[in-house]
Amino acid sequence: MERRDLLRAFASATALTLLPHKTLEAWSRVAANARSADGLSNAHMGLVRAIADTIIPRTDTPSATDVRVHGFVEVIVTEQWADTERAAFLAGLDAIDANALADARKPFMDLDPDARGKVIEALEDGSRDADPSKTYWRLKGLVVHGYFTSESIMKDVLMVQVMPGRFEGAAPVTIKKRPSKTLTPPSDDAMRHAEHAHG
Amino acid sequence: MADAYDYDAIVVGSGMSGGWAAKELTERGLRTLVLEAGGPVDPRNDYVEHVQPWQMHYRGLGDRKRMQSEYPIQSRCYACDEIGHKFFVKDAENPYTTPADAPFNWLRGRQVGGRSIMWGRQVYRWSDLDFEANAKDGHGCDWPIRYRDVAPWYEYVERFIGVSGAREGLSQLPDGVFLPPMQMTAVEADARPRIMKAFGGERVLTIGRVGILTQNHNGRLACHYCGPCEKGCVTHSYFSSLAATLPAARATGRLTLLPNSVVAEVLYDPKRARARGVRVIDAITRHETVYTSRIVFLCASTIESVRLLLNSKNAQFPDGLANSSGTLGRFVMDHNFGSGAGGSHPGFRDKRTTGNRPNGIYIARFRNVKTQHPDFLRGYGFQGWSGRSGWDRGQWTKGYGADFKQSLIDDLGGWYFGGTGFGESLPREENRVTLDPEVRDKWGISAARIEVRWTDNERAMEKDMAKTMAEMLEAAGCKDVREDHGMNPPGHCIHEMGGARMSRTATEGVLNRWNQAWDVKNLFVTDGSCMASTACQNPSITYMALTARAAAHAVAAMKRNEV
Repeated sequence: MERRDLLRAFASATALTLLPHKTLEAWSRVAANARSADGLSNAHMGLVRAIADTIIPRTDTPSATDVRVHGFVEVIVTEQWADTERAAFLAGLDAIDANALADARKPFMDLDPDARGKVIEALEDGSRDADPSKTYWRLKGLVVHGYFTSESIMKDVLMVQVMPGRFEGAAPVTIKKRPSKTLTPPSDDAMRHAEHAHG
Repeated sequence: MADAYDYDAIVVGSGMSGGWAAKELTERGLRTLVLEAGGPVDPRNDYVEHVQPWQMHYRGLGDRKRMQSEYPIQSRCYACDEIGHKFFVKDAENPYTTPADAPFNWLRGRQVGGRSIMWGRQVYRWSDLDFEANAKDGHGCDWPIRYRDVAPWYEYVERFIGVSGAREGLSQLPDGVFLPPMQMTAVEADARPRIMKAFGGERVLTIGRVGILTQNHNGRLACHYCGPCEKGCVTHSYFSSLAATLPAARATGRLTLLPNSVVAEVLYDPKRARARGVRVIDAITRHETVYTSRIVFLCASTIESVRLLLNSKNAQFPDGLANSSGTLGRFVMDHNFGSGAGGSHPGFRDKRTTGNRPNGIYIARFRNVKTQHPDFLRGYGFQGWSGRSGWDRGQWTKGYGADFKQSLIDDLGGWYFGGTGFGESLPREENRVTLDPEVRDKWGISAARIEVRWTDNERAMEKDMAKTMAEMLEAAGCKDVREDHGMNPPGHCIHEMGGARMSRTATEGVLNRWNQAWDVKNLFVTDGSCMASTACQNPSITYMALTARAAAHAVAAMKRNEV
């Protein structure tokens, strides 16, 4: 297979499942050369997209990639971050995939949803100070931020009002469609206040 | 005689203080020239408070490379972000120096409106506890004024700008003329009586008093609760000179406002012992012009006014204009700011906030009000915030998949609650602004050299702030309470004060009780440089009140031919 064919195939996430596994080994060699100095390679982009949609899948509301969270991740990683941060992040992505290969015998992108979930759980249980979990949390932060600051989610899902016209300090919380199952009150909330400090 | 001058009055600076000088002097009949170093601001085009994250390239996370290259110091301020940086100076054009061991964050905006465009909007009167502090403990010189001198001017300013707040009847934090207060959150309203009870009524949590309209006022519209006032306000709902005092001055027909006009020097007439005008450099063309006037008001901001006086040295005043006392540039202060505590609150899951309140709660000073604390002099207040964590928590909490996503949409998350201390620092002769012998700004004007250090008093206070905030959060029912020992470098609070202090005698300070230079009778300095101590309250309203008071005095003195 020609390199440009691989690139074309990887340009679309839906194409990934059609690729025979052995070509992925070939891809990993090609990708090492294909990676540009200041952008995400298609392989890294594919992994970012797969993780993003595992964290935020499509339901009755859009998935992470439906609102192009991967594009936001690329902007931050390639334009905002310093070279050393970017290099560490890309190495971290490789470590995530290496982990998936070791545990599930397949690259992350090739795993079915259940297996992807197990990889995510392992990453979330690992130490946040060391890779691959460190890079995972950095990516997760960007995915969640990118998703909830996207135009369609702010407008159509959160229904954010730019000029609310009033402030209520103790308004009732309206009944939810579905109860929350996965979350307990986060102790890290304590950290939030510092970001609001002003002079 | 009037024809001998270009203007009756010149005001240097168009921000918080300069706007008030412009309003009061023009309304009292003076043809007034306001000189602003920065460019014009057009709210319709320049204000960005309604720009949403998805409209920003970095979604509000900022252009870090540009910040590092153009705004390395200014971007330390929360308001100098991806779109708010336009209201801050470019550091390379506006250098200043410090000793290596004494960092100072000098955070500045040069534009019509100055820092009143992106100020914190908190408005608190001082009391005699503050005006008498220097006299009582011997640090700094005695203020030549007391609360009764300023009180009518506080009221005058409040009636014009519109201040929302709640009356509390506290001697250390006098009530003002208030518009209806903003609401507390469920957690804050519950905390108030708990904290009151736990600490014998000494610690009073009240809604922040802010220069933001909760109802239409003087032709300006009530707040629409979009949130980020520091990025502007198209409805002019928070006070700024651009929204309120400058339009009032313009309405008199006696205002001339020149943007892009960098004042390089106050010119002195030794025969008459008076200021005769200013030398101005056009910020764009660098063309120099001299403007003359009967009186000069310096409202350029604390350090800029000091720097201008130091740069205006002449044969009679070789150490800086109006500096016969030798105190010019000394006793520079800032609030000791950044320590406090935060926690989460397990209750009120059935309550939420709606809208974005551009304000928080305030806890009035309780240290050294009635009894003396063993570890430090003076006191501090807290500004605090509470809210629900919202989807933000998804960035650091575990979970993935459909349920995770839905919970971030449906469940607002737990409440957080915290507060940050604002402490009074002691006036010290060693803390000073001088001119750097080598460094000059983009216009060739000698840069300021700033040398301000905290002392043991501020450090002891900082420790107490974190402890008392944490114990109040515990009393309020918070969990996971964590002390924050985040003492910032001086300057970071953007409450820099002093350097041309008011004093009772000409040997102790630069200005008399009317903000009038002891040495130069037609020169007035009414920005933060006039302050002889810092109190712990946010200072802007005191600058405004002192400016209005000084302007009234100046015009009356002119009519008596005293200046």
